[in-house]
Amino acid sequence: MLSILQQATPDTTQAATAYDSVWTNPELPTQAASGLEAVMLSQDKLYVVLAVVLIIWFGLLFFVLRTDRKLDRLERKIADEN
Amino acid sequence: MKTINLPHYRLIRTAVFVWMTLVLLGAFLLQIPRINILEHTARNLYFHVPMWFTMMAATFVSAYHSLQYLRTNQPVRDVRAREAAVLAVTFGILGLVTGSVWAHYTWYQGTDLWWNFDPKQSMAAVQVLIYGAYFVLRSAIDDLEKRGRIAAVYNVFAIVTVPFLLYVLPRQMESLHPGAEGNPAFSDITHPIMRLVFYPAVIGFIGLFWVLYTQRVRAALLHRHVDGLYDEL
Repeated sequence: MLSILQQATPDTTQAATAYDSVWTNPELPTQAASGLEAVMLSQDKLYVVLAVVLIIWFGLLFFVLRTDRKLDRLERKIADEN
Repeated sequence: MKTINLPHYRLIRTAVFVWMTLVLLGAFLLQIPRINILEHTARNLYFHVPMWFTMMAATFVSAYHSLQYLRTNQPVRDVRAREAAVLAVTFGILGLVTGSVWAHYTWYQGTDLWWNFDPKQSMAAVQVLIYGAYFVLRSAIDDLEKRGRIAAVYNVFAIVTVPFLLYVLPRQMESLHPGAEGNPAFSDITHPIMRLVFYPAVIGFIGLFWVLYTQRVRAALLHRHVDGLYDEL
């Protein structure tokens, strides 16, 4: 009985990991990257740092602008009341 | 209307701006050891990791004020808890996005992957969702006092998950993040020159959180004042 079951469901646990325990691609690609990928990988990947800094910068800018809009609404409200 | 100690706020705001400028200069001008695959992206340590420290700080500030709200019932505590949670979610999202970009060009280089369910990634995403639910809960209750109390109770539960989801559990599993099962911890592998920038960056981003948070609290208190609510703050 057990052997039938085992035959019916081959062991695939070797083929996949439940989560990220291994480097997805242990071999670095041999062919040259192109397009955006090539730009990001050039200069020893310094542009990846630029991308991260810009994401944070724009994220915080977006936040500041939202606070700004909140103040605008308040100012209009106060102006209307007076 | 009771407000913020403004001279104190302005002093810290200016200090944070100068401090962060120095951090940025240090982050790009200092030489760091080059490691295969990581290369210059190791500098993301100064930007991606402090996002999570800042989120943790924000959640602690938020939970502290929620506790105080439950104790004292002062509306200003509810305002503070909410604004700190807004910033916790903001820094959490920035942490997720910056981490995804970093991973794409290092861990997942040569593949199309941006996200591969690394335990720390997944749990950080869950953490952001837990704080997202805080706002859903708030928007579902119309009565201000009831909303404040229920949201405060939820918030106290939410803070309990933070150390586990961001710190304890990811370290029990195999992960590509440092400090996880099978990987050396930050303290074993980080060069002194990088610590020189990293720790000030954490302090700087938490300072930046404090500035933005205080601005939001000022605006929110003014808003309630204009609406004629809670003048007894």
